Amino acid sequence: MSGTLRGALMGAVFTIALGTGTAWAGTIKVGVIAPFSGPFATVGKTFKEGIEVYQAQHGKTVGGDTVEFIFKDLDQANPAQSKALAQELVVKEKVGYLAGFFFTPDALAVAPLIDEANIPCVIFNAATSAITEKSPRYVRTSFTLWQNTVPLAQYVAKQGVTKVATAVSDYGPGIDGETAFKKTFEAEGGRVVDSIRMPLKSTDFAPFMQRIKDSGAQAIYAFLPAGPTTLAFAKAFSDTGLKAQGVKFYGPGDITQEPDLPALGDAAAGIISTFNYSQVHDSDLNRAFVAKHKELFGSSDTVTFTSVGAYDGAHVIYKMIEATGGKSDGLKAVEAVKGMTWESPRGPLKIDPDSRHVTQTIYLRVTEPKDGKLQNTEIAAFPNQPDYGFKVGK
Amino acid sequence: MTAVESDKMTTNTSTLPHSRPALPRIVTDAMPVVVMAVGGLAAFWLFPNDLGLLTRILAAALFVMSLDMVLGYCGIATLGHAAMFGTGAYAAGIVAVNWVSDPLALLAVGGVAGGLIALATGALILHARGLTLLMLTIAVAQIVQEVANKARDWTGGSDGLSGIDPAPVLGLFRFDLYGRTSYLFALAVLIVGFLVARRIVRSPCGLACRGVREEPLRIAALGGSPRRYLVSMYAVAGVFAGIAGALTAITSGIVGLDSVGFSWSAEAMIMLVLGGTGRLYGAVIGTVAFMAIHHILASTDPFHWMLFIGLFLMGIVLFLPGGIASLSARVLPLVKGGR
Repeated sequence: MSGTLRGALMGAVFTIALGTGTAWAGTIKVGVIAPFSGPFATVGKTFKEGIEVYQAQHGKTVGGDTVEFIFKDLDQANPAQSKALAQELVVKEKVGYLAGFFFTPDALAVAPLIDEANIPCVIFNAATSAITEKSPRYVRTSFTLWQNTVPLAQYVAKQGVTKVATAVSDYGPGIDGETAFKKTFEAEGGRVVDSIRMPLKSTDFAPFMQRIKDSGAQAIYAFLPAGPTTLAFAKAFSDTGLKAQGVKFYGPGDITQEPDLPALGDAAAGIISTFNYSQVHDSDLNRAFVAKHKELFGSSDTVTFTSVGAYDGAHVIYKMIEATGGKSDGLKAVEAVKGMTWESPRGPLKIDPDSRHVTQTIYLRVTEPKDGKLQNTEIAAFPNQPDYGFKVGK
Repeated sequence: MTAVESDKMTTNTSTLPHSRPALPRIVTDAMPVVVMAVGGLAAFWLFPNDLGLLTRILAAALFVMSLDMVLGYCGIATLGHAAMFGTGAYAAGIVAVNWVSDPLALLAVGGVAGGLIALATGALILHARGLTLLMLTIAVAQIVQEVANKARDWTGGSDGLSGIDPAPVLGLFRFDLYGRTSYLFALAVLIVGFLVARRIVRSPCGLACRGVREEPLRIAALGGSPRRYLVSMYAVAGVFAGIAGALTAITSGIVGLDSVGFSWSAEAMIMLVLGGTGRLYGAVIGTVAFMAIHHILASTDPFHWMLFIGLFLMGIVLFLPGGIASLSARVLPLVKGGR
C-alpha cells in the first residue's frame, strides 16, 4: 500500500472517528469504562445490569439507530490506563459516547480527550464535585458527597444534637464529606467537637472510638469506603459500647449500600444515612425496575446506587442520541439534556444546567432488619437537592 | 535460582570479551536497538488505533528496565520500585501544572526527582539484604504513597493530579488525540534510555554491582564497598524510573496514587521475570508480552481475563524459568548443532 493511499485511508478513518460518519442509520456505540474484574468487579456488574435493564425496558434502538454498549475493564483506579482505554474506544471502536467511571481520577483523566474529540461523557458514579468543572462535556447521574451530606447535617442539627464528631477515611471523598458536614452543621449552630481522619487502610478502629468517647460527642458523622473497612468500623462502634451509650451513627448512604448489608449484619442496624437511592424505595417505577432486574438476572439483592446511576445514565445517553439525530456532536448533545427532567426509579431527577450534575431527592434512611434481612428504610425525603459542592473548591 | 541466572548471564551478555566469538560485538550490540526501532515503527504503522496502549507499554518498559538494573544487576529484591516511578511522575506533573510545560524539561525533572528519592532511601535501607530489604522497599513505597495522598494541595490526593498539558515536543510536535506524538516521543525516550542503561551496566561500576550480587564478601575483600556500589546503582535506576514516571505523566496528562502503588511495583516485577532478568532487553520483551496479552485478554473477555493471565504466567514460570528472553539462549545452541 502506498503512502498516499494509506494517508487517505487514515484521513477517512479519522474523519469518521470525529463524527461525520455516523450520520446514516446504523449502530451507535457507547464505551463504558468501569471495574469488571478484581475487588470492585461488583460495581461494573451493577453498571452492566443497570444498562441491560434499561435496554430491556426501552428497547435497543433510538430513531432507527441501534445503541451498542462496549465494556472496557479498568480493575482499579488507574488514570493512565483509563485514558488509554478511552483513546482506544474513541479512535478504534469509534464510540460516540463515553460512560461509566467508578473512581474520580479515572473520570478526570479523559477530560482532554472528550474535549478534543467532542464526545459527551456520562459519569455513572465518580463523585468528586470538581469533575464536571473540568470539561463542559461531562454529565453526571450519580451523587456527590456534598449532595448527600448537606441535608444530613441540617437534619442532625434539627434533632437537637449540638456536639458531633466526624470520622472519615483520609482520602478525597472522606475529606469532602468532613468539610461539607462541618460547614453545614456549624452554620446551623452545632459544633463539631472532633474531626478524625483515619488512614484508608486501617482495620483497627478501637483508638478512634476512644477519641470519639473522649470528645463527648452525642453523634458521629462517618464516611469510609464501602466494604470491609466500613464493616470493621461499624463493628467497633457497637463493640466499644458507643452504640449502647446512645451515640447516634450518621453517614452518607454509601456505607450501608445494599450488597454490603448481609456482611454488615446487626452492627449496621440503626445507622441513619442519607442517600439518593434505596432498593426498597416506594414507587411503581422502582418496583418495575427491581422486578425486571430479578427477571433478567435471577436476583435483585445487589441492586444499589450504582445500578440506578447506570440506568439513569443510559436514559441520558438515549436522550442525547435522540436530540442529535444519531450524529455525534458532544456539545449539542450535552446542551440538549441541560435542564432535562424525568422520573427515575429513585424519584424525580433534573440535570442542573450549570453543574451538569443531577439534582435529585435525597432520602433519610434507617438501616433495619425486615423479613429476615437488612434494608434501608426511607423515613424522610429532602427534594431538589443540588450539588452543593459545585465550584466550592477543596 | 541465582545459580541458574548467573549461568544464563555468562552465556548471554556480550560484554565479556570472550563470551560469544560467533558474532561480532557490534552486531550483537546493535541488534536490540534495531529490533526496538524497527518493531516500534512497525507497530506505529500497523496499529495506528492502539497508540494509547502502545505508549503505555513503552513507558512501562522503561520502568521495568530500571527495575532490571536493580534486581537483575544488583540482586536487590524490591517491591517498592514504584516509589521512584511515582515520585518522578508527581514531580513532573506538579512542575507541568505550575511552571514549565516543555516535555524534555519535564523528563529531566522526573529523572532528578526519581534519582534523589532513590539515593536518599537507598542510602537508608541498602544495608539490609533479602527479605528485610524487601520489606523496607515496600515500606518506602507506602510512605511515598501516603505523602502523596496527604499533600492534597499539590498532588490532588486520591482524585489524582490532572491538568498536565505539556507543550509540543521541541516546540514542533503537538500531543494529539490519536497519540502519535506521544508514541514516537516515548519510543525515542525508551531507545535512548536503553542505550544509556546498557552503557551504565557495562561500566566498571555496573560490573562491580554484578560482583556484589554474586559475592559481596569478595568485593569487600578486594577493597570495594558493596553498599556504595549498590546505592549508586539504585540511584541511577531511580533516575530511569523517574523518567518513566514523567513520561507517563506527560503522555497521559494525569498522575494518580496508583503510580506509587504496591500493585504497580509487583506488576513490574512480574513483567521483568516474565521477560528475563539481567539483560535489559528482557525487560522490554516482558513488558510488551505481558501488557499486550493483558490487553488482548481483557478486551476479549473483560470479566474473566484475570484467570487466563494467571494461567499464562504459571505456564511461563513452569516451562521457561529464565523468562522469554532465555528462549534464544535455549534455542540457539540447538540450531548451531547442539553446542
